[in-house]
Amino acid sequence: MSAFLTYLVRRLVAAGVTLLGVILVMVLLVRALPGDPARIIAGLLATPEQVAQVRLSMGLDEPVPVQYWRYLVNLAHGSLGTSARFGTTVLSEIGHRLPYTIVLAVFGTLFGAVFGIALGVLAATHKGRWIDAFGSMLGVAGISMPVYWLGILLIVLFSVQLKLLPIGGAGSASSLVMPTLTLGVFSMAVVSRMTRSTMLDTLDQDYVRTVRAKGVVEWVAVRHALHNAFIPILTVIGLQFGTLLGGAVLTETVFSWPGIGQLLVQSINNRDFPLVQGIVFVFAAMFIVLNIITDLLYSVVDPRVRLYR
Amino acid sequence: MNSPHSAASRVLLVALSSVLAMGVAGYASGQGSAAMPAPSPDATLTIGIGVDLDTVDPAQQTTTTVQNVIDYGLQTLVAFDTQGKIKPLLATSWSTSQDGMTLTLHLRQGVKFHDGTPFNADAVVYSLDRLISGKIRVPIGAGFKSMKTIEAVNPTTVAIHLKHPDPNLVPNLSTTIASIFSPTSATKDGNSPERIVHPVGTGPYQFTRWNKGSEVVYTRFDGYWGEKPYYKTVDFKIIPEANSREAGLLAGQLDVIMNPPVTDLTSLSNNPAVKVLKAPSDRSVFIAINTAKPPFNNEKVRQALNYAVDKDAIIKNVMFNAVNPMDSAFPSSLSGYCKVGAYPYDPDKAKQLLSEAGVKNVKVTLGSSTGRYIQDIQFAQAISGYLRKVGIDANVRTMDWPSYVSTMQQKDGFDLHVLGWAPGALDGPTQLQMFTSATIPPKGLNTSFFSNPTVDKLASESALNLHDASRSEQLCQIQKEVWRQAPWIFLWSQTLILAYNSKITGVSYLPNEKFETMAAHPR
Repeated sequence: MSAFLTYLVRRLVAAGVTLLGVILVMVLLVRALPGDPARIIAGLLATPEQVAQVRLSMGLDEPVPVQYWRYLVNLAHGSLGTSARFGTTVLSEIGHRLPYTIVLAVFGTLFGAVFGIALGVLAATHKGRWIDAFGSMLGVAGISMPVYWLGILLIVLFSVQLKLLPIGGAGSASSLVMPTLTLGVFSMAVVSRMTRSTMLDTLDQDYVRTVRAKGVVEWVAVRHALHNAFIPILTVIGLQFGTLLGGAVLTETVFSWPGIGQLLVQSINNRDFPLVQGIVFVFAAMFIVLNIITDLLYSVVDPRVRLYR
Repeated sequence: MNSPHSAASRVLLVALSSVLAMGVAGYASGQGSAAMPAPSPDATLTIGIGVDLDTVDPAQQTTTTVQNVIDYGLQTLVAFDTQGKIKPLLATSWSTSQDGMTLTLHLRQGVKFHDGTPFNADAVVYSLDRLISGKIRVPIGAGFKSMKTIEAVNPTTVAIHLKHPDPNLVPNLSTTIASIFSPTSATKDGNSPERIVHPVGTGPYQFTRWNKGSEVVYTRFDGYWGEKPYYKTVDFKIIPEANSREAGLLAGQLDVIMNPPVTDLTSLSNNPAVKVLKAPSDRSVFIAINTAKPPFNNEKVRQALNYAVDKDAIIKNVMFNAVNPMDSAFPSSLSGYCKVGAYPYDPDKAKQLLSEAGVKNVKVTLGSSTGRYIQDIQFAQAISGYLRKVGIDANVRTMDWPSYVSTMQQKDGFDLHVLGWAPGALDGPTQLQMFTSATIPPKGLNTSFFSNPTVDKLASESALNLHDASRSEQLCQIQKEVWRQAPWIFLWSQTLILAYNSKITGVSYLPNEKFETMAAHPR
């Protein structure tokens, strides 16, 4: 087996162990929530018999270790269970929503990465000048502005005043614009700050001075520096993407975006245990996979990084 | 005995009194009277709703908004009009046997379901039997427990045999739970008898698609038996955020929205492009007092709380006049409502009652939901302020809804808590579940743990009483007793607030928190 494959298998086994832990924590945590789930699923007007029946059908009358084991057995059979609220399979509910979340996360991250890196590089190469100040201002604003508020402002501007964009929903490509902007501005702020600081570090280093001394045009020097500054930036982008995949609840709510964040909050409020567990499981799995991919990308970006030997 | 006439006249009385009591109901009902234009070949009405649907199965839903949406395609045997009066729908007439044990309904003829199946007694038996078969869960189906068997006497006559006389069955048959759907559809389009995902009914619109989390679309049914609506398509957009719904209306992307942000009611009302309709509803909102806990086991203390709060000021300043003050233990839209009185704002009297009860400087918890009822946490804070003025230090506590519901059902939970209650069939018994010993948690949601022998006795008597006048009298006595005993700080009945494009007319409502646009069309 090649070294790469060994490495990958090792990472995947570790991921599996992590997931087992995630499921355990999740099963315990969900059950620690106050409020009798059977009562909530059965409805406020349900009789005690109906509540008991729901408890039985959800398997809530069994000890937690048994519930945990059952969950793992189902998982091994490729099933995440049945939603207590919707009566459909957890996989199909997640399947309805996840594509929307992925689309939004991809666009939000792309926007954040492209503009964040550009802004960060400009700020670093023009340190102390107006563009640096402007970049810092945008960065602070982007991080501290509540997405909620920004979302409403965008709606008022683009939908109510200019009548250009739909206020929400996922009906057309144009309905992607405002949610992407809202999420992207935050990512952009985070990415640009990281880019600026790592770029400032690298631009000061000897090899950049050497490159400049050779008399190359400035952008070549910057490209050299960016190449070396890229690993921390990539880490931030990866984390941002992972977070956005977890569903941006507030953005989804403001723009009526049918993503998975809203579904998670809804199912927590409904105490729909199977669905909550299924969504958290999928989040965790995606995050872990994303981490592995980011790690692999390190060695692509910088061949000096050795993940395995 | 319980002929449709007497049932109708009873509800009519209620309706009249509610009109008199509120004065609001009057102007909304006249709006549909303008001549209906011919059905449009392509016009779409978009309605912004705040709640995502969890099911479209009439028997398994639990949410008024879900009912409101699926009502566009499904119909019931009888229905409420705007005044809360029962009117024929799929049944043209009905009568109760002498002994009160059989309800016979005569069905409308020439009606077809959206899938072409003829509407007849078999369909009624199929749909109603589902509610009592025990094969599916009917979360809010308690009102149908009196049904023993349902019999198709002939294709146009159905007899419902009862376990005991039940004066509330007819109003219950008007609720969405009792919708009649096509029996042949129960195994098609992803449906199974246990779970309906594509409801096929007899209504003016047919269910077309439901994109989870974003929209539900209905299309006009050209074979509809009644007057056809103007709009070809009704598109319910799911928009959980009130500010976004409002923006959608102002941007012209939504025609009708429910529950705009209440803080913007004034500016919306002043906007000529928008009409605001505050529809009186069946939902009472109140502070339940934990009568199991001293000092609240003393009725003087509970009365003092009622005198201590300036409800009129709160309605004006915190609620933006979006609610109607309660003057009885029933909201005025319920059948059997009778006006009892008022607890005017009188802090001196409150202090006097508290000192008579030997209560001073107590610390209590006031539980509040957040965002479940109009301005709930805001008015809870205001009430806490008023209570502090009479020496009751009420600390407002919030939590997420399931935890909240669980806490309020414990005797050592909250001292006081905010709650709303809406009997969808506009019936007394559901409201009485808040006051009888039989419904003290965990058996029910009488979360003030109120127990009173007079109320219990009158409640069980009235539930079986088929004589309208004497039942109304019993219900009225209960309301007087409850009002005096004050297990609640009586607050108000909520309104369903609708805002719509002023270019549209004919938007209406039902008194159980539902909007209605069958008569809507461009002005």
